[in-house]
Amino acid sequence: MKKILLSCLLALPVLGYSQSFQVNLQGQKQTAMGGAGTGLALDEAAVFFNPGAVSFLKKNGVQAGISPLYLKTAFRENGSNVTEYNKDKIATPIMGYAVFGSPENRLRFGLGIYTPFGGAMHWKEDWTGRYSVTSLDLQAIYIQPTLSLKITDHIGIGGGLVYSLGKVDLRKALPYTLNDGRQASAKLKGDAKDFGWNAGIYVETVSGVSIGVTHRSQVTATVKDGDAIFDVPDAIRDRVPTKFGAELPLPATTTLGLGFQPSDKTTLALDVNWVHWSKYKELAFDYNNNFVSPPSPRNYHDAAALRFGIQNQTTNRLALRAGIGYAFTPVGKGYVTPEVPDANRLLLSAGIGFKATERFNIDFSFLYENVEKRNETNIETQLSGEFKTLAYIPGISFSYKW
Amino acid sequence: MNSKYIFRSIIAVAILGMASCKPELSTITPSKGSADFSRYIAVGNSLTSGYADNGLYLEGQKNSFPEMIATQMKTVGGGAFYTPFFNESQADGSGYKILKGFTPAGLPIIGDQNTNTAVRTTTPTVLLTKYVGEINNYGVPGIKLVHINIPQYGNLNNFYERMLPTDFPNNTTTTYLNFVTSKPFTFFSMWLGNNDILGYATSGGANPADQPTDKNVFASLYADAANKMTANNAKGVVATIPDILKTPFFNTVTLNSLLAAVHVTAPTINTIYIKTGKNATRAATVKDFFVLPLASANLIGTGAVPYGLFPSNPVESQWVLDEDEAGIVSDYVASYNNTIKTVAANKGLAIVDAYALLREYGAGKVVNGVPISAAYITGNLFSLDGIHLTPMGYALVANEFIRSINSKYGSSIPIVDVTRYRGVKFP
Repeated sequence: MKKILLSCLLALPVLGYSQSFQVNLQGQKQTAMGGAGTGLALDEAAVFFNPGAVSFLKKNGVQAGISPLYLKTAFRENGSNVTEYNKDKIATPIMGYAVFGSPENRLRFGLGIYTPFGGAMHWKEDWTGRYSVTSLDLQAIYIQPTLSLKITDHIGIGGGLVYSLGKVDLRKALPYTLNDGRQASAKLKGDAKDFGWNAGIYVETVSGVSIGVTHRSQVTATVKDGDAIFDVPDAIRDRVPTKFGAELPLPATTTLGLGFQPSDKTTLALDVNWVHWSKYKELAFDYNNNFVSPPSPRNYHDAAALRFGIQNQTTNRLALRAGIGYAFTPVGKGYVTPEVPDANRLLLSAGIGFKATERFNIDFSFLYENVEKRNETNIETQLSGEFKTLAYIPGISFSYKW
Repeated sequence: MNSKYIFRSIIAVAILGMASCKPELSTITPSKGSADFSRYIAVGNSLTSGYADNGLYLEGQKNSFPEMIATQMKTVGGGAFYTPFFNESQADGSGYKILKGFTPAGLPIIGDQNTNTAVRTTTPTVLLTKYVGEINNYGVPGIKLVHINIPQYGNLNNFYERMLPTDFPNNTTTTYLNFVTSKPFTFFSMWLGNNDILGYATSGGANPADQPTDKNVFASLYADAANKMTANNAKGVVATIPDILKTPFFNTVTLNSLLAAVHVTAPTINTIYIKTGKNATRAATVKDFFVLPLASANLIGTGAVPYGLFPSNPVESQWVLDEDEAGIVSDYVASYNNTIKTVAANKGLAIVDAYALLREYGAGKVVNGVPISAAYITGNLFSLDGIHLTPMGYALVANEFIRSINSKYGSSIPIVDVTRYRGVKFP
């Protein structure tokens, strides 16, 4: 158990995404249920989904999971007959949660480590859009100590402090050709350490419907003194910068979740996310050396996602899960970029939970994301063509309860 | 146990799904429309040959726009395409200019690349190594429209001479127009006429031997050429003459840049004197165009009476296309282009408005993340000679030809990926 958790952490995850660069793979049960879970007190992942529900968990537990993410994007320039694909690279979002304290007490404690934002897009170094981007690795690992208080037998509130560890590695080609025919390129690498919070309220109504409302705050990932590594011809080397700073808003998300248990064995969950993407106006790099680079406009708008999931406790040991979701893109017309070729997307999921012993559980999930085809001309780069993305994301987690 | 079987099935399905999950875009089937591209020939001057950086050399030839078009035509039944390439061992061709670096003031240092030229003799005139083999790209640097019916032209232009089977000085019977049409062809591009005004402009209007071709002669010859090219029902595309005055050749050395350089040592001087085409001396204005080679000639301010700074020692006419001469250039280009458009319409040919195209890109445009403009060296569009294009510039032109062909003949030749072609090379 410990070993698995450790190796997951050491894997230094690079991440995929599920709405722009937001990642929604935070618990295997919830992932299998379309990513819904805010209105349920399902398991330790409530630390992420709804801190208010943590105090309603029947047992303490610890879980760790991973969702290897295989993302394939196709691009074809308008007028061309050549389809280009991103490189095969598996990203591995991780998740780990612990809930402790006495289940009889009103106050419980939680700890979550998860990856709510990220991106891992790798194009070939000579692809058509290389002057926009050749690769982007973006990751934000949130570490969230959490308190959850059951105010009454039916109402719980909770909150956590988020400490975010961010990392960015952005590469692109530059339109300078060296005498040997080599292409100039730029690589921007930096780290960010920032704070945020996560809070929620959980209500079990008499009708059997449970309601959850949560808000995860914006974290502004701030890179200071990042490395700007320019591979350029000697003739212009003294004009390029060596350091950069940048700010990237990891937007706030407000969620309303409903849970319903029509029978002892069946649980339904519905989540509506509202992601405050409109804070992402532009991507600007502040270079040393007076290097001029105008901000790259993004002008995202707020966007919703709808998620519906069902769980059936088929036997004492086996739970079957399925889900469906739809995420609206925050990226407006003319602002689609090849590092995040986003569009509205359909999510289909399924999963199995297996109780190996009374204490030890294994959960599998499989999520399929079908991102709609999108033909766009980027306002800034004039890169014009059609993007189509599919993602296949199997996942597994282990949990131990006491 | 049953659940184990289910787990294994899920894993198997997952692996299968991931292996087959390549997203598909709707299939594109290129088509030739109403045209036949089985033998495409390219007729024209330096721009057609792939000339760049003040020379014709192998890399430039490989990046000529007809080469690019022909490659794309192969997806719609286009045949083999042969450019009269220089040998690898003589890849420098006629020799060309290279960028060697920048001065501390940021001015480019231009040098020569001529270690592996294709010069076969220099007496009695410079001749280039003969090309033997099939030819589809008939681009001849320096050729004017007014040259296409001259039987002795093979003796007058060494780029043309190298394509001909006969050696100088015995080429007295092969006109360019007859040579290019001597073998059957199904499709042609013709981009002629630029040199009928270019030489006048680049010499500052000062060369008596290089005056603009008469407008009526141009119109008559252009119609002849179009008739001859379409005599056997070949379809084709023609292009207009670019706006010469928008090239870096005429916009890099400016009155302001000259004065700024002068101010380093003589801050009170605010006038540059020029000798006009009418042999008058006057102060230059921003409407006069200085030519690019004036920068490397390093003349301004030299001599006992500092060159260009006093009326008694003005900048000579060859270095400046004065306002009146620039007006003549604009007038002739407009007239020639009217002729080209009229003839193209009459003959039902596709037309590329290179004048509009290069003005549009020259004014500043972004293409797939690359900033393009008419700025010297940094604009990615024009090569080091300030007139001819970079491979990237030629790729933009190739795509415009393809779009024009597609729209005229209902074909769907795919465009080239502009980003695969370079701008100016940096040391």
